[in-house]
Amino acid sequence: MTRAMLFGSIAAGALALAGPAGAQRAAPLPWQEDPFPSRYQAPLAEDMLLKGATILDGAGGRVDGGDVLIRGGKIVAVGRGLANPGVREVDASGRWITPGVIDVHSHDGTFVLPLTAIDREASDVSETSAPNVADTWVETAVNAQDMGFDRALSAGVTTIQILPGSTPIFAGRSVVVKPVRGATVWDMKAAGNVQGFKMACGENPKSWGADDDNEGPTSRQGVISYMRQAFLDAQRYKRAVEQGRAGTGAMPPRDLKLEALAGILAGDIRVNLHCYRAGDIAAMLSIAKEFGFRIGAVHHATEAYKIPGLLREAGTCAAVWADWWGFKMEAQDGVRAEAPMLERAGVCVMMHSDSPADGQRLNIAAAKAAAAGRRIGIDIPPERMIKWTTSNPAKLLGMDKRIGTLAPGYQADVVLWSGNPFSVYSKADLVLIDGAVVRDRSKPPADPVSDFEIGRAGAGR
Amino acid sequence: MRTIASLIALAIATPAAAQTLAVTHAEAWTMEGAEPVKDATIVIENGRIVSVTAAGGVPPGATVIDARGKPVTPGLVNGATQIGLVEVSGSPDTRDDASTDERVPGYDPSRALNGNSTLVSLSRADGITRALIYPSPSRHAPTSGEPVFARLRDGVDILDRGGVALYAVIGGGAWERLGARAQQWAALRKLLGETKRGMAPPESEKKKDKRGGGPGPGGPRGGPDDTIRDVVAGKLPLAIQTHRESDIRQAAALASDLGIKVIIVGGTEAWRAADVLSVAKVAVILDPQVNLPFNFDQLGARQDNAAILTKAGVQVAIGQAGGAIHANYNAGMGLREGAGIAVANGLPYIEALRAVTVNPLAIWGRGGGALTPGADADLVVWDGDPLEPSTNAMNVIVEGRQVSNRSRQDLLAERYKDAR
Repeated sequence: MTRAMLFGSIAAGALALAGPAGAQRAAPLPWQEDPFPSRYQAPLAEDMLLKGATILDGAGGRVDGGDVLIRGGKIVAVGRGLANPGVREVDASGRWITPGVIDVHSHDGTFVLPLTAIDREASDVSETSAPNVADTWVETAVNAQDMGFDRALSAGVTTIQILPGSTPIFAGRSVVVKPVRGATVWDMKAAGNVQGFKMACGENPKSWGADDDNEGPTSRQGVISYMRQAFLDAQRYKRAVEQGRAGTGAMPPRDLKLEALAGILAGDIRVNLHCYRAGDIAAMLSIAKEFGFRIGAVHHATEAYKIPGLLREAGTCAAVWADWWGFKMEAQDGVRAEAPMLERAGVCVMMHSDSPADGQRLNIAAAKAAAAGRRIGIDIPPERMIKWTTSNPAKLLGMDKRIGTLAPGYQADVVLWSGNPFSVYSKADLVLIDGAVVRDRSKPPADPVSDFEIGRAGAGR
Repeated sequence: MRTIASLIALAIATPAAAQTLAVTHAEAWTMEGAEPVKDATIVIENGRIVSVTAAGGVPPGATVIDARGKPVTPGLVNGATQIGLVEVSGSPDTRDDASTDERVPGYDPSRALNGNSTLVSLSRADGITRALIYPSPSRHAPTSGEPVFARLRDGVDILDRGGVALYAVIGGGAWERLGARAQQWAALRKLLGETKRGMAPPESEKKKDKRGGGPGPGGPRGGPDDTIRDVVAGKLPLAIQTHRESDIRQAAALASDLGIKVIIVGGTEAWRAADVLSVAKVAVILDPQVNLPFNFDQLGARQDNAAILTKAGVQVAIGQAGGAIHANYNAGMGLREGAGIAVANGLPYIEALRAVTVNPLAIWGRGGGALTPGADADLVVWDGDPLEPSTNAMNVIVEGRQVSNRSRQDLLAERYKDAR
């Protein structure tokens, strides 16, 4: 317990340091506090030298016949002909090495398969009692026994952001996890990321508001004005907190919803925005400008390809699917070529899943997108495609100095693929998290099994 | 490299009826053997394949499509999808997939098929030339209606053949419609049993049973009652969408007890009953992508389902691939990705190709689908391995004619490709 508490206070301290409010460095501001600290401990790391692979380093570089040296849970060197300092050597010739896949849009642990009537009655994906549930932390709902985590890990996913759903306008805080087996989500909770938050615009929140049983706006314009009013309130609250801290005013009573929104305004909490239509995205970028914050990424963003300049100028990324389109009106104009189009236009783009099935194949989603790009004359090579599932999502999570790239000093979240990672036939032979082998396909049973799955019909896959 | 636009112009400029096509330098997967014919010339006349010959000649006047050594396969066949019935799934007024009539057990979607749907043009651009279109659950559980075959030629009329089976859904989660699964099985057996008794009246009463057109060979079809009679007579298959091992064994028992032809659709846990299915000659249409259970019926979900079943001698085709969204919105890409995943999990490559070409046609009683002389000329020229999602379909030929392989997505992407 002592160790866990210590870890928690260190994490909170790191957040305070990361915040822009230099004057208040001594104690974290209310929105910087983490009441649910991580208890994640990296598994036992194994030093190793992977020899002779095709390496995509995640940041745009490619080394053919290259080696990766891993020691003490970190990448030590990437290059050709590395000398073995006396560690386990793995012949990786004919195989490919990339950083571990990062999925920034998951509902694992709350959209828990198998679904039952209980989920239909009251789902943990989002709190839907009000359009503003900014006070919620989705991690307090995450079921660590969701086998979706195991499937993701076996598919080479090493970091997952779990977001609340898109029914509320302000849906609450996200959590970033490592898909390792643990009794609780806090055994999986990553450290060192920027705190994420979920907002939604368009059809989902307005349709919910339009339901007679619910409160909330019923139109796009209503959703947008609801957001502006909420940020105005948060602005006042933030100013009062800052004055309270500076001793120039009374500290306002704590308000968990306003706190979260104030954290967004302060730049301590990063917005992940569910939004489809170009006009919706543009309206949201205007709100961010008005209130002086940056939206981390627009998720789904099926029409972002129509307005790449707006995203580029705002420094906002796009987290996209390859081929979810058509199922509702605001998704009519989704195109498979979106990722290569945004890449060419200079927008930070990444693949995301929103699905425990597609989350196992984000590199295949990238492959589909690239193929569609070729149909319109845009050819993106593999060393740039891999950014869409590694370094760009790391950027969104504020972890781009730690993961998502194979370079000295980075945490050793690494996948050794049986072949080209963009081929449907390739498998994750070896998955490393923090330098520990968490999956070795050559040593059955290679796949982790959750408490839910054990002893049931599916076990022993 | 020829552009997509010039190929479309070519297709439009060529007279329809007398078109002679020659696909040259093809790696032709004819589906006759396990290996492709290398450097094949495929000659097509009047909608049919004339010949597939290694280094064969080109007839004078033929329009030549140079495959440049790339794979050519039969047009892919989706074993179960709802393209042409569904446009915007979240908006019920754009869907024609289910009957809401409680009085009749059937729904014949053939009059609702819409070849102008954007879902159809995208799946055609992904190399699908035929698809089995099935109805969603009706208010007359457990039957949904009668699936139809679509042929993805250009234009609105994509009906290939109607009334190819009777479709039923059985399993957990259906309690709102009918009740627990034993009730569902009882209802299905009652429907089939009553039909069977009605079909074998005493000699003196035979003439009375003419309502609805009668099931006689070659006679006009009269609707769902005819379909059920044909199922009981073993002429048409009964497709049962179900997943749990116990239900799959029930389905096999039903096939044996009544001597009827049964197809499993879904079949997540079919691998656990592979031996029984093989003996009962029950085919399975499945989604090889599934390795998570959407509900408790699917706890045994695993991606080597197709490999295990095929090895046990069960005929397998791929359908409903990719689940809720992809099964319809990417009826081509999802099918190919599913086949690729099946190969990655142990299904031999040629068996995966069969599972998306000749097998679904055989299972649903349609037949054909191979690139053999005299066969319908439905084929696709690819720029790589068709089971890789990174591959594009370069030319799609339906009934001997090059069809559009440009989807609405291609048009939108081209419109905005220089947006900055």
